[in-house]
Amino acid sequence: MGYYEQSVPPVRDSRLKIGDSYIGHACDLVSCSREGCLLQKSRSFWQANSCQMALSLMMATTVENSVIVMHAPGGCGALLHSLSVQSAKGKAQRGKAPNPVPWLTTNLTEADVIGGGEKKLRETIQYADREFRPEIIFVVVTCAPSIIGDDVEEVVRQVRSTVSAEVVSLHCPGFRSRVVASAYDTFYHGIFRGLNLSPKPWVDFRPLPEGSPDNELVEKQYQYQKSRTVNVWNATSIGPADEKEVERLLTALGLKVRFFAEYSSRDELRLVTEAALNVSMCNVHDDYMLKYLEKKYGIPYVIAGMPIGFRHTRNWLMKIAEFFGLEKEASHLIDYEERLARKAIQPFLEQVKGKKVLFCGGVVRVGSEATALAELGFDVLGIRAYHYDEGAEPVFEDVAKNLAETPVAVSNQLFELTHQIKTLKPDLVLSHNGTQGYIAKLGVPSIQLFNVDGAFFGYMGIYQILRRIVFEFKNTSYRDRLSRHTKLPYKPSYFEGDAFKYIKD
Amino acid sequence: MSDFLERPRTACALAGALSVIGNLPDVIPIVHTTLGCGGNLANSTAFGSGYLGGGYCSGPAAPSTGVTETEIVFGGADRLREQIKNTLELIDGKLYVVATGCMTEMIGDDTEGVVSEFSDEGYPILSVSTPSFKGDSYHGYDIVLDGIFNKFLPKASEKNPKLVNIFGLVPGYDPFFRGDLEEIERLLKELGLEVNTFFTPGQTFENLTSAPGAALNIVLSRVWGVELAKNFEERHGTPYWITDLPIGPEATDKFLTEVAKRFGLNAQAAIEKGNREFYGYFERAADAFCDQDLKFYAITVTNSTYALPLARYLRTELGWVLADSFVTDNLTEAQRAALQSDIPLKFATGVQEIARLINLEHPRNKGQRYFDDLSPLYIVGSTLEKRTAQIRGARHLSVSFPVYDRLITDRGYAGYRGGLHLFEDLIGQIMSVKL
Repeated sequence: MGYYEQSVPPVRDSRLKIGDSYIGHACDLVSCSREGCLLQKSRSFWQANSCQMALSLMMATTVENSVIVMHAPGGCGALLHSLSVQSAKGKAQRGKAPNPVPWLTTNLTEADVIGGGEKKLRETIQYADREFRPEIIFVVVTCAPSIIGDDVEEVVRQVRSTVSAEVVSLHCPGFRSRVVASAYDTFYHGIFRGLNLSPKPWVDFRPLPEGSPDNELVEKQYQYQKSRTVNVWNATSIGPADEKEVERLLTALGLKVRFFAEYSSRDELRLVTEAALNVSMCNVHDDYMLKYLEKKYGIPYVIAGMPIGFRHTRNWLMKIAEFFGLEKEASHLIDYEERLARKAIQPFLEQVKGKKVLFCGGVVRVGSEATALAELGFDVLGIRAYHYDEGAEPVFEDVAKNLAETPVAVSNQLFELTHQIKTLKPDLVLSHNGTQGYIAKLGVPSIQLFNVDGAFFGYMGIYQILRRIVFEFKNTSYRDRLSRHTKLPYKPSYFEGDAFKYIKD
Repeated sequence: MSDFLERPRTACALAGALSVIGNLPDVIPIVHTTLGCGGNLANSTAFGSGYLGGGYCSGPAAPSTGVTETEIVFGGADRLREQIKNTLELIDGKLYVVATGCMTEMIGDDTEGVVSEFSDEGYPILSVSTPSFKGDSYHGYDIVLDGIFNKFLPKASEKNPKLVNIFGLVPGYDPFFRGDLEEIERLLKELGLEVNTFFTPGQTFENLTSAPGAALNIVLSRVWGVELAKNFEERHGTPYWITDLPIGPEATDKFLTEVAKRFGLNAQAAIEKGNREFYGYFERAADAFCDQDLKFYAITVTNSTYALPLARYLRTELGWVLADSFVTDNLTEAQRAALQSDIPLKFATGVQEIARLINLEHPRNKGQRYFDDLSPLYIVGSTLEKRTAQIRGARHLSVSFPVYDRLITDRGYAGYRGGLHLFEDLIGQIMSVKL
């Protein structure tokens, strides 16, 4: 039985070669991953982080008209308060109703942990359906019920006939993987197992009356439209401005663009199969889903990196254009867009030339942004990827080719970031959300590696990234002063030694 | 207490413990569970409590064992031992607290055994058991402080007759804990007392170590911190006094009078000064307050600590008319009984449930020509009530966890100054959307 047929999805650790602890260079990282030595690496000191449940929830809360049922002890859902606020904003930015996300927790107690929580889960799902009348109920299975062995799939199977909502289970116990990227697979697994991904007759389309003379033309029109439709797969870190830029570029090639799966509703998801091509915007985000759609529905896919910076955007667009035989058009479009954008960024480039930069965050982002900015004259001091898996191989082969001498770490650990900033002394850090305050306390200028309120992709993206960097250097007083009044928790001796001394084989 | 919950306004015992530790000076957490718990739980208060943020060594800086499948199967003792050893090597702290999560409790790790290997060698370290299935964040507050004060700290050799400890406000889950504690400290100092509040930037580790010598523990909650104070009395012989957090002049007058009586002091001067200052400002605002007819029906939706003080302030100081006071904590019958007063309380947690109860109790005008509805209405609750208020056309201010629609630093509502702040915020909210 393949992964797709299992009720509980695999964690990435069992599906891919993966790791979260490494220091070296890009070419060694790629071979270390291929040979499996990356799998063995760990740390003898860890700081708290996130888990695959957090990212699964991040994705689920974007789905319209859904309710989340946490099958968990009372604490696991705590971050849903903030995710609800975040997703309301994202919905509003996409012209959707910014309703808060209702969520419930089975609130497992000591007695439930001993006696099982299946009955409670059933009651909670039924209450959620009755009270909120959602289109989808996401049942989120965390560590505790996974350890006690609650048969959530059986509960979901039985309860489906008693509720009006679709029930989608997301198995995401944090202990099964330290790599939060497992969440993407979990979410997609839940979506394709729990939802109907084919259009419904009379709801989504009108079936052709038998023997009608128009049938052939209608069929042809349908096929033509489908043959020009592209599904672009978004992510929580990709904001509406990026979707707009990608849509603008692909529309200019005569394609119809639809975004999935975040900020989609049940009815929109049902039409996911009505497209000629699925396109990812991040190598490690969507392969599980796109391979499924290819296997089940025969829809081909393109995974060609992240459209960030001139070279990566060109490559990404050309790969899509190749599929549709639009290479010439794409090439013209890209040349034209590049000409405009390069002229626009000229004044910025003079101000940032030679600035020493450290990159920190998601594996594809850091690799892509580092090579993109290196090409514009930045000096890349180091790259820190939160995790690495074989999906990121093309990105890091590119890093190996272009930034062979640049140190690459696989680390989501704040103490190692702190050490690198203090010892490498970058002029600027491009870093993941959640670290910005800590970098400011070190007195170092930094900007977001991604920000859903900003633009990062395509030509508008590169312009806005550079504009933001120049803006950052215009006044650094806040962080200069803050750093003088912040005491770090790490003993000074740590900064005299190896940043990665706690990585072990 | 075993029912499912809709959008609970609390997290787990570990979350409460981490919030406490993250707001104590030089105390370092070691989270013994998966890597995700520490980060996710810290986020709930780092953002959800008026953007409290991470402290010296909390949130993504908090040392964590990060147990995985291997430890779930084979036990996490070795990983814990390694993590403690390296935490002591890397992180500069005066006290280290190992807090457990669900996973390591379920597999039965001997956390205390591993920790005692280090405490026997003289390292300042203790462990607390804080799985979610044993209680929520408020319990976590009691559990971790009980560990520090009643298990870790030695008995005081002598008492300081002027020293008081303040308990009952839970960092993060009482979003104004810092401002409230600072005002309580300021007021008690005016009486000539010394005050340990533990959680404000002005406090140091020495406030923790001096606590066993206190002459009185004041618990500013009828529910939270009470067990802790009882155990404290048993271990250190310090009596405790449970009272409501005083908000506004009337409550603060009473509070100071009572404290002064217990110490044989006179509160008259402090009370007169406090009132002079309060009314010096409050009186001037009467023009705006009255000319603009800012009298409201009020519904409060808060935790048990804030419920009575807030309702009383709105009724007494502003002359508003109380319609409902909801307590959102998950309480036992005995705890509910402890909250009995002249203000009737309703107990509910879910956003939907509370909105429904409000609508059932106070029906809305369905097109009648003459209808005595509950308006103008002000809902003082959490950010979760924002939508409820919008739907009813009511004013809304977030004062209870979770608070996402405002940023809080040293603001507090306790005492005389807090009474002014609350007035400013309630009315400022109206002024800010007037234009």
